[in-house]
Amino acid sequence: MDEKKKYPFHETYFKKEWSYSTGAVLLTLLALALVIFSGGAWGVTGPFGMWGGKFLQLIGIDADSWTAFNGSLAKYNFWTDMPALTDIGIVAGALLSVLLAAQFKIKKIKSAKNVWAAVLGGLCMGIGARLSLGCNIGAFFSALPAFSLHGWLFYISIFSGAAVGSQLLKKYFM
Amino acid sequence: MAEQTLDCLGEACPVPLIKTQKAMEKMAVGDVLIVDIDHSCAMKNVPDWARSVGHNVEIEEVGEGEWNIIIEKTK
Repeated sequence: MDEKKKYPFHETYFKKEWSYSTGAVLLTLLALALVIFSGGAWGVTGPFGMWGGKFLQLIGIDADSWTAFNGSLAKYNFWTDMPALTDIGIVAGALLSVLLAAQFKIKKIKSAKNVWAAVLGGLCMGIGARLSLGCNIGAFFSALPAFSLHGWLFYISIFSGAAVGSQLLKKYFM
Repeated sequence: MAEQTLDCLGEACPVPLIKTQKAMEKMAVGDVLIVDIDHSCAMKNVPDWARSVGHNVEIEEVGEGEWNIIIEKTK
């Protein structure tokens, strides 16, 4: 409690969570800046698909001939792929933020159930995001400021999906 | 005035909140529940919920990225 008084600036700006409205305003401004400076809409999982394809090539599978890639893997360059660089940026930024707040912690894996939930959940998210051509960033965060209708459709769908998911979680996981 | 601990270390949202709600249901007025968490979102939504229901809440930072949420059941 004494530390609070010793470093009031650090406490207010780096440690205490910001309000939802502060977050919303900052996200809007940063979304705008992202479009202006990167020259396009950001989608998190698009690059994951490319990296997956590159990985398949690495182990000798000719993924580039698939309709999904259609020769785009050969032309792919990570350093000019703005969404990919933004992906790296968000992870680096999140790390910086927890380090500044002195809240970095490597969490213990609690149970085998949690491992299964993480693996299955990750697979479902990956497949879903690629089938719908975007996750909640590409299909939502980048869509709404651009006044694209697909963002609102995605909003309704993800909200209903989350509602059903929470009920399943309560029933079978807890 | 019983006191009990709920271990939610390593659990992500919304698991800590649902576990806390379930544990609080079984407690008597005046009892205290200490929730151990290491998920920063739970550090916000668990106290938010408990305060909105009217319980007394205190948050203690016990280590780097680890908190105890102390909730006293008031009704």
